[in-house]
Amino acid sequence: MTVAPASKNVEKNISPAAAQKPRRKRAETSNFSIRMGQLALAVGVLGSWELLCRIGVIDPFFFPLPSDILDTVWVWISTGFVFPHLWVTLQEAILAFITGAAAGLILGFLLARVRLLERLFDPFLQMFNALPRVVLAPIFLLWFGLGIWSKVAFGFTLVFFIVFFNTLEGVKSVDRVLVDNAKMLGASEKQLLRHVFIPSALTWIFSSLHISVGFAITGAVVGEYLGASAGVGYAIAQAQGVFDTEGVFAGMFILMFVVLIIDLGVNRVERHLLRWRPPQQAS
Amino acid sequence: MTHPAQTEYAVELNGCTKEFVTPGGGSYFAVRDIDLKVEPGRFVSIVGPTGSGKSTILNMAAGLLNPSSGTVHSFGQPVDGVNRRASYMFQQDALLPWKSVIDNVSLGLTMAGVSKAEAYDESRRWLEKVGLKNFADRYPHQLSGGMRKRTAVAQAWIVNPDILLMDEPFSALDVQTRQIMENELLELWQESNKAVVFITHDLDEAIALSDEVIILGAGPGSTVVGSYDIDIPRPRDLLDIRDDPKFVDLHREIWGRLKVEVSRTYESAREEEESDAA
Repeated sequence: MTVAPASKNVEKNISPAAAQKPRRKRAETSNFSIRMGQLALAVGVLGSWELLCRIGVIDPFFFPLPSDILDTVWVWISTGFVFPHLWVTLQEAILAFITGAAAGLILGFLLARVRLLERLFDPFLQMFNALPRVVLAPIFLLWFGLGIWSKVAFGFTLVFFIVFFNTLEGVKSVDRVLVDNAKMLGASEKQLLRHVFIPSALTWIFSSLHISVGFAITGAVVGEYLGASAGVGYAIAQAQGVFDTEGVFAGMFILMFVVLIIDLGVNRVERHLLRWRPPQQAS
Repeated sequence: MTHPAQTEYAVELNGCTKEFVTPGGGSYFAVRDIDLKVEPGRFVSIVGPTGSGKSTILNMAAGLLNPSSGTVHSFGQPVDGVNRRASYMFQQDALLPWKSVIDNVSLGLTMAGVSKAEAYDESRRWLEKVGLKNFADRYPHQLSGGMRKRTAVAQAWIVNPDILLMDEPFSALDVQTRQIMENELLELWQESNKAVVFITHDLDEAIALSDEVIILGAGPGSTVVGSYDIDIPRPRDLLDIRDDPKFVDLHREIWGRLKVEVSRTYESAREEEESDAA
């Protein structure tokens, strides 16, 4: 950046890259003003919430003061109260995600490649998918108890179907020409999977990973809420039991940030694995 | 079939018919009773109006499609599954977009079990040949259309096939790039002893490149309506060949035949439109 002013005059006439420079700069400034606008929006909403509570327009019993919520978040974090709960929730979510995604991927690839299996399984998968998954939570509680496994099972049913249907669609929508080309170059079925189907399906799978990571955590929290002895959902349920709305909101905020951080990680992995895509599509 | 092959043809289609089932439950014939014989080392073009089933013939020779009736042989062997002696250049982009240029080019070798280092060495030689030495690490979307075709040429030739099947490989390119690519193709082919089956709708291109031009009739259910030997001496200079008196004569003769099929296709398309409108 420091050399830019010196070379500016020279570049202007020759390099097409020079023509792009001002445009990028404009994009950066507009990006910056968007960020400022977002900040202003957040401050505005939270500020007016705080103000309306303090002058008594909003009942702080139902909508506690944002400052009190932050305070509770801080207490939960500084005393270490929330960490064992968070750890349990994350364990459940991670296990549900890994098992659900793995099963979804394997079955998705299998059914996409073996037409017979797809026709055989299709109605049953549709039936299970049509079932609102929340009604499974009570039966899983009975089957697997109050520990983490009932939540893992619940999260599994949420993650599995998303990953499965996206993988199935991703593999089936592979460009026919790419498959034919690889075949003509001598690809075996295994090599087709590795060089053509898996990379091509990755785009679809990743769009489902974003949602399924969220669903894994939803599964864990909802499961905990319905019956558990630990976890963030349990902590929220406990707070609700004693009409501690600050605690409920604090739990919500903590979950929100944890999911955001995990999503950033998924984004980074996605960007690396899909680096071959033209940039306008990737963004 | 009781006639053992006297000559081993690189590609031999005997009475091949291909019938497709339409989504509505009906069926139609893409091509009917196709006989095609391509000797090793010969450059044969197939020309026909749109919808005459040119690609269907190529796909049967490649083993990507099975004929509904008739037989396909390659060097005396019946083609069952993909034709291992052939490479295919597709009309569309068929490079794997998630692989860099060099990984695309070396794919045929690595899948055959060649070590990565060896495959890369060979790929670099080919990239140099097609003028893409400095683009080995690019992804296909970062290349121009002509560069992608060059990569596809390298990808198809590196496995050293005995047969090259080309489905309008240069039709997406602009005229100048196309002539350059045609010249380069001829140079590569002259050094080799490969049979080429080249599909095009451009009669100029077909005559300029080939030893033999085959004309397909109007579809559906088209069949071979004419076959012409192109005895313009080689090596040919493609940039001047269109002024060659032999070229002009051949073009007039073949176009006279092709014209009939083209206008027939056009008329049946118009009739269909009219019956749709009615």
